[in-house]
Amino acid sequence: MKLKFCIALLAAMILILPSAAWAETADSDDTIVTIVRTPEQEHAERPPCFPDPSDNYIRLPDTENIAQGKPVQASAHNDVYVSRNLNDGKVETYWESKGFPAEMTVDLEGVHTVSSAAFCLNPSAIWEPRTQEITLLVSTDGENYTEISPAAVYEFDAEKGNRIRIDFEPAEAAFFRAVITSNSAYPAHSGGAQVAEICVY
Amino acid sequence: MRRIGNAFLAIVLIVCAAAAIRTGAGAEPEKTLLTVYEGPKTMRSSATAAVSVNGFDLFVYDVMVNHEHIWNADTQPSSTPMTYFDFSGTARIEVRMPGLEQEVESAEVLPGSAGIIPEVKDGTVRFSVSQPGQYTVVFNGNVNKALHIFANPPEEDIPDPEDPNVYFIGPGEWVMDAIVLHDNETLYISGGAVLHSIISVPNARNVRIRGRGIIDGSDFPAWNQPGSYARVPISLDHSRDVTVEDVIVANSNCWNVNSYSCRNVTMNNVKVISGRQNGDGFTFQSCTDHTVTGCFARTWDDSLVLKNYSGSTKGITFRNCQIWTDLAQSMEIGYETDKGLTLDPEISEVLFEDITVLYNFHKPVISIHNSDDAFVHDITYRNIVVENAFMQGDNGNNKELIEMTLQNSSWSTVKDEFGSIDNVLIDGLTVLNTADGKIPRSRFAGHDEEHRITNVTLQNVTILGTPITSLKDMKLSADDYCDGITVR
Repeated sequence: MKLKFCIALLAAMILILPSAAWAETADSDDTIVTIVRTPEQEHAERPPCFPDPSDNYIRLPDTENIAQGKPVQASAHNDVYVSRNLNDGKVETYWESKGFPAEMTVDLEGVHTVSSAAFCLNPSAIWEPRTQEITLLVSTDGENYTEISPAAVYEFDAEKGNRIRIDFEPAEAAFFRAVITSNSAYPAHSGGAQVAEICVY
Repeated sequence: MRRIGNAFLAIVLIVCAAAAIRTGAGAEPEKTLLTVYEGPKTMRSSATAAVSVNGFDLFVYDVMVNHEHIWNADTQPSSTPMTYFDFSGTARIEVRMPGLEQEVESAEVLPGSAGIIPEVKDGTVRFSVSQPGQYTVVFNGNVNKALHIFANPPEEDIPDPEDPNVYFIGPGEWVMDAIVLHDNETLYISGGAVLHSIISVPNARNVRIRGRGIIDGSDFPAWNQPGSYARVPISLDHSRDVTVEDVIVANSNCWNVNSYSCRNVTMNNVKVISGRQNGDGFTFQSCTDHTVTGCFARTWDDSLVLKNYSGSTKGITFRNCQIWTDLAQSMEIGYETDKGLTLDPEISEVLFEDITVLYNFHKPVISIHNSDDAFVHDITYRNIVVENAFMQGDNGNNKELIEMTLQNSSWSTVKDEFGSIDNVLIDGLTVLNTADGKIPRSRFAGHDEEHRITNVTLQNVTILGTPITSLKDMKLSADDYCDGITVR
């Protein structure tokens, strides 16, 4: 009796299970289907074939970026790439000057001791590698500026986060100024200097 | 022992019978081969539409479209259902539309040339297709929530994920800021994948983008909104020998499939649906030797469009494509024909062939707006079917069926020099339906004695069932700076 039941059950599994998937219509036994399954996910993930490059990003100081959100003035901008993008905390927005030299000055709203600066572009891979020549100056009164980092060419590369870090001897600063005198993306892919974020530490 | 032997024999017979049923051994006709794709576990199938094929449920995506048929910088798109599968044989498609306010009482399957008459019963639409293709179902005579079904042929030659030149994106929901492809690389986006990213091919050779999955831009605000920027889903730039196949491009925050100054590009079975600002479909600037076949473009800006940004355009073919134009023009050349201020710019040797315009709601179906100073010549439109020519224009203007002009526009770069248009053939143009049941007007306007539109021939034109053999019947106006305009 048990054997008959097992045979009947096996027959049912063989005949009914496949047809259950085809059972929506009467002539549904005319289809060979492949169902492509998707993985268990709780949110969108980075595709495994593209390893996360952030481990290779240039590290920024762990201390507070005292430039973010502070008043900023800059040379004339191109199109919609206005100066407030310089320190809005978003690397997706950027400032682009009209030609060179391009100057930006952040009012730090008080005297601080500063020893590092960073310049960021959008880390997206669509930003081709480029170099920009940058000079740094500081002031305690907004009128007299002292050079703290001479003009030097820095490489922005998405593989490294599209950002550069400049360390210098600690200095007192109420105003922080950067002057950019070249951009290798100019003129093909820029109208001048490009900075998504200026950071001061 | 004998009973056990009989039982074993019975099992073998049952297994063989079941296997025969499953594999179709000895059965006539051949079985349908069907591939269906689960949606990402992070997403829900549309509440608007429920679709099955041969009894197997499909995952239905809601994608952005736009029913506002006039430019609005702050427009808000709506959505429509879209789904896809692969098959050979016969696909019996069943559709229910729980998201419609009114029960489905009638349905139409587009393109009409497929000759599909659906059965509608108790709110369910049923029809069969035997040829892979792009099918659109319109319910109750209203384009709202029209269902786009992309019925692909079986997929062949899926690339090897272990190939070091292949980026293989499997089923699931994926996000990445941008993907940049270099020489000899292939990006494969599997069916069942939704990829939130953009794909850029700058200065590369021998690149392939393929797969049945979706490239999605819904994460990004419209490009013209504060803080946003254009995130072009597929952007080819100064590249050559590029192939784009099978992918679906949806919810872009700007234009969609862009090729700039590229050479030898092939696109096949690429589907674009857009509903946001400047959502042009297939847009090529200063390109040569491009062939686009079997593609679909429902767009909220020009569907197929050629321009000159830096140099000339030559050797572009669009063949066997379907278009649904919610905004702007369906097949546009211009307006920018010399944005790069190059010497002797031309747009030439362009062919639009076997194009079906499912709907055009806004501006001309066929248009050459030579708004700079290029020489536009040797342009052919062959076998163009316009199922619904509903051009409402802008406040009564730009609602022509065909428009060719040599005039400045807000997109002109060259303001004081003008070009010409010569040797245009429209051979086979059929308009099946218009909004008012009348033949729409067409307009040709040159600029001056030296800048003219010449040698344009229209033949085998039928509008609303009437063969058209004269300018008058065509309602075509040509100004004094046009010569050799013939309708026969």
